[in-house]
Amino acid sequence: MRPTGVYFENFAAEARVLETRRARLWLVALCILLVALPMLAGPWLLGQLTYAFITLIAVYGLFVTVGMAGQINIAQSAFVGVGAFSAAKLSGLGVPFWLVIPAAALITGAVSVLFALPAARVRGFYLALTTLAAQVMFPIVILALPMSWLGGLVGMPVVSPDLFGLSLGGPRGFYWLALAFAAAATWCAFNLPRSRLGRAMRAVHDNDTAASVMGIPVTRIKIEAFFVGALFAGVAGALTAYFLQFVTVSSFTLFASVWYLGMLIVGGIHSPLGPILGVAFITLIQEGLHAISNALLQSGSNIGGGAVFALSSILLALCILIALIFEPRGLAHLWQTAKTTFRLWPFPRN
Amino acid sequence: MITLIQTLIDGAMVGLVYGLVAISFVVIYRASKIINLAQGEVLVFGAFLLWTFTEGSGYAIPLPIALVLTLIACVVFGAVIERTVFRPLIGQSAFTIFMAGVALLILLRGVAQLVWGAQTRSAPAILPEGAIEFGPFLVNTRLLIGAVFTVCLTQALHLFFTRARVGLRLAAVAEDHTTALSLGVSVRQAIAVAWILGTVVATAAAAVLLSGSILSLGVAVIGFKALPVALLGGLESIRGAPLAGLIVGMFEALAATYLDPITNGAASGLLPYLLMIAVLLIRPYGLFGWQRIERL
Repeated sequence: MRPTGVYFENFAAEARVLETRRARLWLVALCILLVALPMLAGPWLLGQLTYAFITLIAVYGLFVTVGMAGQINIAQSAFVGVGAFSAAKLSGLGVPFWLVIPAAALITGAVSVLFALPAARVRGFYLALTTLAAQVMFPIVILALPMSWLGGLVGMPVVSPDLFGLSLGGPRGFYWLALAFAAAATWCAFNLPRSRLGRAMRAVHDNDTAASVMGIPVTRIKIEAFFVGALFAGVAGALTAYFLQFVTVSSFTLFASVWYLGMLIVGGIHSPLGPILGVAFITLIQEGLHAISNALLQSGSNIGGGAVFALSSILLALCILIALIFEPRGLAHLWQTAKTTFRLWPFPRN
Repeated sequence: MITLIQTLIDGAMVGLVYGLVAISFVVIYRASKIINLAQGEVLVFGAFLLWTFTEGSGYAIPLPIALVLTLIACVVFGAVIERTVFRPLIGQSAFTIFMAGVALLILLRGVAQLVWGAQTRSAPAILPEGAIEFGPFLVNTRLLIGAVFTVCLTQALHLFFTRARVGLRLAAVAEDHTTALSLGVSVRQAIAVAWILGTVVATAAAAVLLSGSILSLGVAVIGFKALPVALLGGLESIRGAPLAGLIVGMFEALAATYLDPITNGAASGLLPYLLMIAVLLIRPYGLFGWQRIERL
């Protein structure tokens, strides 16, 4: 429901993502703030934000596969890993940065199509099991390949990127780079649901038998959903490789996949706003837990790193369960409700 | 030739243990339509409970009493999971229930790590260690007892699900939650029974698998190995699980003996999952599962 006085004179205006001038001004303000942030913030905060941007890109990929098309994917972290290893290998071969990112995305997309092919025969959680197979097989394959190919157990170093002679190695340069990619991913994620492909995915999500009756090629849409989701994952993986300047198998576990899914579910799987809120919320919780455990460590209590990891797992699991049981539409829906309540105050919302 | 047959025997024995874990998947699915990814974690939980009552308690509890205590703890554990996680989700979409299982996976892993710690410890030796000789071949006693146990349990559970009134009711729940509810079947009770049975079977599998060897959080991987077995046997078929376990176990043993030296140890690790994808492509409902007909 829109407030009084907001009306549209043509369809193009009504179809916009940002309907009002005020919303567009807010967006511009947010962009200016984010671009200018390196002038104000220290390297620690910039590093955290950069990592959050990269995670956001991966979660957007999950939003496309899981939220829009309704296909469960618990291998997003393996797909990110494929992107990271492709980027590391390609940059090791001397391929320039601007070519590595799309190449890594395409390689990841191709790998994901391989695991999406059973969509022709199975659906629902059976399909999710093939992604589970992908996630479990990923480290086994990397570790079994010869050391000189993908680094095996040790991992691979990655040189910091430079774009047309401009070094992007420092925390500031890389922050802007990640911000640019996150902004592009955000644009894609907000516009994809309005496209032909996005609407087809939505139909498949709601009822794939009905969708096929309407003439939507269900299998192709499912495979495309995995492909598009993996493109995002590939970009996120390539950025991770450049950001950490080192890739090892141990960063791309089933747990990381669950973290991505948790962020998406807590944020809300049906709205492109969900990934933003979910990533922000879960990152804040994680950092809060780290701060508390650091404080405990300094006060001399004997809490170990293992206990902190266990606690963060438990906390994430509880977040997911609470979201599933009490608010399956996630923080995005709570945000909309809060906005409506604020606008209508002091009148009741319904 | 002797190596080949010995490999097959070992593979078959290990495969029946996979089958036992797969039965715990099947029992939960057959009774509640929940595919529980956290089954490996449930198994580890059961193993830790067993350890707590045998070696961790500090008292010399006799083995039978320790087993009974573990059984009671498993029942309580299964009931708690049903009450807190799955009861509020009755009738929700497959996605929601699947994700609840994923959340449960990391929840149980976290709790186990917090309560018992991440260090490895020796698991209680319940079954006798050793080997029986059949001509030139050796059969591990522990796994042989486990195999016999698996076969007996399979038959008992099969009779329960196809003959007993309660078991037949559970099958209705596996078909569809809403339909079962409208026919007066208590879905809550079904899910509780499913979880209690699943936990007990998983703990039994842990006892057979780990008896006298090492217990750590990493053991949970067995859950992901048993998933292809459950899928191959058919998620609704109790008797399919041990048979599929035999197949997977033998193939895995063959791959470990003959292919691993060539592939740097990857073949036996990858095989169950490649098999799983093949099953999904060729016969998604498994060897003995129910074939579902989709309607608009």
